[in-house]
Amino acid sequence: MQGVHGRALHIDLASGSAEPHPIPEPVAVRLIGGTGLASYLLYRWAPQGVEPLAPDNPLIFAASPFIGTGITTASKVAVVTKSPQTGMIGDSLSSSYLAIALKRTGFDALVITGAAPAWSLLVVDDGRVELRPAADLLGRTPAETAEAIRARLGAGFRVAAIGVAGERGVRYAAISNDGRLAGRTGAGAVMGSKRLKAIAVRGSGLPTVADPAGLARAARDLAARSLGPGTAKYRELGTAANLAFFNRLGVLPTRNFQQGEFAGAEAISGETLFLEHRTDKHACAACTIGCEHHYRTRDGGPAREGRLEYESLFALGSLCGIDDPNAVLRAAALCDDLGIDAITTGSTVAWAMECAERGVDLGYPAAEVPRFGDASSLLRTIEAIGERRGIGDLLAEGSRRAAARVGQGSASWAMHVKGLELPGYDPRKLPTLALGLAVATRGACHNRSSAYEVDFSDRLAPEAEAQARARAAAAAEDQAAVLDSLTICKFLRHCFDDLYAEAAELYRLVTGVPTSGDELRLAGERINNLKKLFNIREGWTRADDWLPDRVLGGEAGITPERLTALIDAYYRVRGWDADGRIPADHLARLGLADLV
Amino acid sequence: MVRVELFGVPRLLAGAREIPVTGETLGAVSRALLDACPALAGRVIDPRTAWLADGYIFVVDGRFSRDPACPVSAGATVFLVSSVAGG
Repeated sequence: MQGVHGRALHIDLASGSAEPHPIPEPVAVRLIGGTGLASYLLYRWAPQGVEPLAPDNPLIFAASPFIGTGITTASKVAVVTKSPQTGMIGDSLSSSYLAIALKRTGFDALVITGAAPAWSLLVVDDGRVELRPAADLLGRTPAETAEAIRARLGAGFRVAAIGVAGERGVRYAAISNDGRLAGRTGAGAVMGSKRLKAIAVRGSGLPTVADPAGLARAARDLAARSLGPGTAKYRELGTAANLAFFNRLGVLPTRNFQQGEFAGAEAISGETLFLEHRTDKHACAACTIGCEHHYRTRDGGPAREGRLEYESLFALGSLCGIDDPNAVLRAAALCDDLGIDAITTGSTVAWAMECAERGVDLGYPAAEVPRFGDASSLLRTIEAIGERRGIGDLLAEGSRRAAARVGQGSASWAMHVKGLELPGYDPRKLPTLALGLAVATRGACHNRSSAYEVDFSDRLAPEAEAQARARAAAAAEDQAAVLDSLTICKFLRHCFDDLYAEAAELYRLVTGVPTSGDELRLAGERINNLKKLFNIREGWTRADDWLPDRVLGGEAGITPERLTALIDAYYRVRGWDADGRIPADHLARLGLADLV
Repeated sequence: MVRVELFGVPRLLAGAREIPVTGETLGAVSRALLDACPALAGRVIDPRTAWLADGYIFVVDGRFSRDPACPVSAGATVFLVSSVAGG
């Protein structure tokens, strides 16, 4: 098999030792790479029941066969660990040059366990491993950290780093590289628990590919298609384009999901940002799309410039009742500086804002408590979260744990699934998305289940039955798993005429392993079952597949009965039993039984 | 009269959030929209067919449609938006 190295590097931070471990070819073939490979490594390396912030919890970075091959957008690294937010599988992807540097080290994955005796920088240089002191880097932003390390080691190194939030154990801390984040599920907190401020990676050895000439032709063709109508939205306005439209549809989460429409939406819309704040746009490494739009504050204060995506826009804007684009820009930049997930940050702050609105005593001085629509309180609270200072120490736990600590009924407006806060789609009017959010293995996530695509299309009538939506949700999850394991961008998905067949051909050109579209689709199903298997092992029950009460019932809400029917249908489509567990013969049919 | 609300690139090209047109089907609405706002020609509406270019979709009363025969009632609000969801 070509296109991969066939081995992972295990690094024990406690001893500083490193040891290669072969990746059996059936694992590489059946689980593809990226998220699929990393999920397998998590299953193998994480002791059952391990505490997410304990040294034994592995932090895994995985590459894919496509990285470094010239296939557009395929420069993403999968970061997988047991999540300190959910206690279940935490998986994120982060784009850019770190992925290529990782693959050049001669390994397909890094499995990092243990905790360093003191704050450290892990250097992986062509397979040679060294731990260096990093106490002097504490307190720096991820960008400052990367700059300092590259100045020290050389520009050939690529760096993944945590910010202050990761150092201080904020449960939704992110890992940052090249300004992109492995943002969701708290991998940065796990990295911080290992006293690992940063990882610097350099290498020189990419594996050969099976058909270089054929691959070059196919890659050129895909790159050309990546500039077509399937990506126009992302190239021209970026994901911020969602906001004004979602508002008119009534699905823009507002004031902690109390409403689906925001009176200040136009002020923070993608169109307004484009006209009044946009500076330029950027592309990730090896990407021809270039979806990352940058904006600058224009409020007369100290200028801040940075990227803004729909998810950060809604979470730090409408969800908190903020209609000042300058404030949202500052809040998003602050999240990046501190190294925290903007969705969970906004959602947890919005939970606290609703506590204040309802007169719930959070146990902190009133001056520390954020209020809906108060931009300065939002910015102040984000800083406090990153530093775990005052009320920030409570909110650094995320909405589920904060609500459990505060009580007074506040759990009923903590908007999460499995401990991961909801993305910017109000599920009340989006039934397929609602199902996807409820059953997703990493918690409420739109990226592991793009089931909303069905709701935003003419593919299913609004009255479509549960079985049809269940099939759509499962198919969306399987497609996402394949893309995340090949590590190609989801924004590329509309550039294929037949995604599975064409991706399978690319896979053959890279690896030399003949693969059909059906086999690739089955691999996606296999990977989702593997993630589920990990969750079951770590204590998942059917009760975890549910939505916050707020979005159930009410005039516009999906009823509990309908959600139950959707989940029942989803389990049937998946081949699971009525409790959502995976029968042994199903594992065998999927080709998982002999891998785990 | 049908009110067409524009989002994203169509809004930027038209320089307007909404354009009133007449038409009893989406096909007629699309043609009227092109007449009312030639700036949409090419990227949003194909001038040869007067129908939506790839990548765009209408929403009528909450239903997404790329069917030119889809009926539109008088007084309706129609959204014109990118057909690429999410992000």
